[in-house]
Amino acid sequence: MDALHIGSHTFNSRLILGTGKFSSTDVMLRAVRASKAELVTVALRRFNREQLEDDLFGPLSQLEGITLMPNTSGASTAAEAVKAAHISRELSGSPFIKVEIHPNPQHLMPDPIETFEAAKILASEGFLVMPYISADPVLAKRLEEVGCASVMPLGAAIGSGRGLSTAGMLEIIIRESAIPVIVDAGLRAPSEAARAMEMGCSAVLVNSAIAAAENPEEMAAAFRDGTSAGRRAYRAGLMTESGDAVPTSPLTSFLGERR
Amino acid sequence: MKEVPAWLVDEGSTAEMRRMLSSDSPVDIETLAARARAITLRRFGRTISLYAPLYLSNHCPSGCAYCGFASDRTTLRRRLEEDEIRREIAAMKKLGIRDILLLTGERTAVAGFDYLRRAVEIAAEEMPRVSVETFPMSVEEYRELARCGCTGVTIYQETYDRGRYEELHRWGPKKDFLHRLETPERALEGGIKTVGIGALLGLSEPVEEALRLYRHARHLAKTWWRAGISASFPRMRPEQGGWQPPFNVSDHQLARMILAFRIGLPDMDLALSTRERASFRDGMAGLGVTRMSIASKTTVGGYDEGETGERGQFDISDERSAGEFCQALRNRGIEPVFKNWDGAYNGPATQIIPTGGLKETIP
Ligand code: SF4
Repeated sequence: MDALHIGSHTFNSRLILGTGKFSSTDVMLRAVRASKAELVTVALRRFNREQLEDDLFGPLSQLEGITLMPNTSGASTAAEAVKAAHISRELSGSPFIKVEIHPNPQHLMPDPIETFEAAKILASEGFLVMPYISADPVLAKRLEEVGCASVMPLGAAIGSGRGLSTAGMLEIIIRESAIPVIVDAGLRAPSEAARAMEMGCSAVLVNSAIAAAENPEEMAAAFRDGTSAGRRAYRAGLMTESGDAVPTSPLTSFLGERR
Repeated sequence: MKEVPAWLVDEGSTAEMRRMLSSDSPVDIETLAARARAITLRRFGRTISLYAPLYLSNHCPSGCAYCGFASDRTTLRRRLEEDEIRREIAAMKKLGIRDILLLTGERTAVAGFDYLRRAVEIAAEEMPRVSVETFPMSVEEYRELARCGCTGVTIYQETYDRGRYEELHRWGPKKDFLHRLETPERALEGGIKTVGIGALLGLSEPVEEALRLYRHARHLAKTWWRAGISASFPRMRPEQGGWQPPFNVSDHQLARMILAFRIGLPDMDLALSTRERASFRDGMAGLGVTRMSIASKTTVGGYDEGETGERGQFDISDERSAGEFCQALRNRGIEPVFKNWDGAYNGPATQIIPTGGLKETIP
């Protein structure tokens, strides 16, 4: 069985869904179901107990087979993120926390220093910490060291739809990491999810590409298929590339005839 | 009996490696060579780092079936005294060598930790980079060596096949398979900055052995990501006991291993010693190998005093002088690098212990 393990939790799906940006809660729920995702992230700032029609947490928590991962989007410092994590755990009971700290509300790039600080504190408090980060191989290892449950490097800027523009760095992170690597942000098409999975990442997190599609439910299903196709290809072992130029005088002639 | 660690038997994501390694592979060796050369060029450029071994002592209480220093061999036993070590190092320095590997057998009263530490101190006065290939030590001992200027530890598992390991290590302290397997991590925990591992090729089935070495290298590189991990591919060579290895690893097989490691571990230093003949070494330079030994003597002493008539731990094959070897590299457009480390970086590394959190900086 090719399950995804995060902490002591096991998931059969390697597609993780973000839940913001949908036109309605109903569309969001249908997309989640169609995606077959089992782990779904929801922003603390979309928890609304006073006005239920504006609340994402309530309806999501009713879904069967779904684990919720609250996130700290909106936090611009480690202190804010830690506070948000505490409140989220209180309200949702989930041990997962996606640490998201972006001081610049325009481009929403993660702050590496504040993220590291928050992750260190939350991991020591027993959270399953999933930090959203730039595709920085050293930061990824530092976060692993302080006890994070996964790292979530970006494929491209949030909402940019630029796909895997960080592919070179992602390859290094995947190769070096001893914890799951989840590509987060930037994906636009299911083929990009497949490509990320073929590269060997453990899962992908998608939000805008589904929420902003003409038909979110259908796009969610397409991402489900793309993700699992990429994973299957990775497991099956892609054939060796043969695009390498073969030099006129062979490189291995010094070895002599075989046998 | 204590279990072997999970990473050693983990088949996950080694399918590609297995395909590249096996000699009836559908992937032809020329394709591997082209890929490996491109990666090596991109990551390391056209350079090879050079080092040379210095055998300090051949006293040994162990009975490794394949070794010319085993305690049942008739080799003349000796160790270098401080003045001899200084003379040898001066002679090596004259050859241009600035990266030195100090070797001994297993721990004995004659050549134990204190003797080794002193040798490291002496070597570190002259050489910016000093590594040891000796007996397994404790974390504390490694920390002490690092303080004295030791930056690297080489420790071959010899064979990762536990059954064969038991058989071949007939007696002596080296018999403990797991203790040896855990040695690289004790060294790294002690603040040693680089660790070299390897399997003595010929002792057990080569593809399986290479896969286990690969898993070990990958495990170390992931866990101790601040450290420099390197892998070596020593083939069995004749030694005076006349022992015959059960497997014969061909040039093709060895080349495949090196190329596959370069592709699977694109950032790792891969070393090739003077056990291999000149044409093979020249051919592999630039195809994946990034470190080579030169002008090696496997007898105790030998750089300053010349030939002693004794046979060493094993017979070397590439007998070219440092000058000849460097010229051969230059002829192929490769720069031999003698110094690639500085004493300013010596001392125990600030290590962060893996699995959960920052540990205090080692004072
Ligand atoms: S291999 Fe090392 S431990 Fe074994 S007999 Fe030789 S010198 Fe001694």
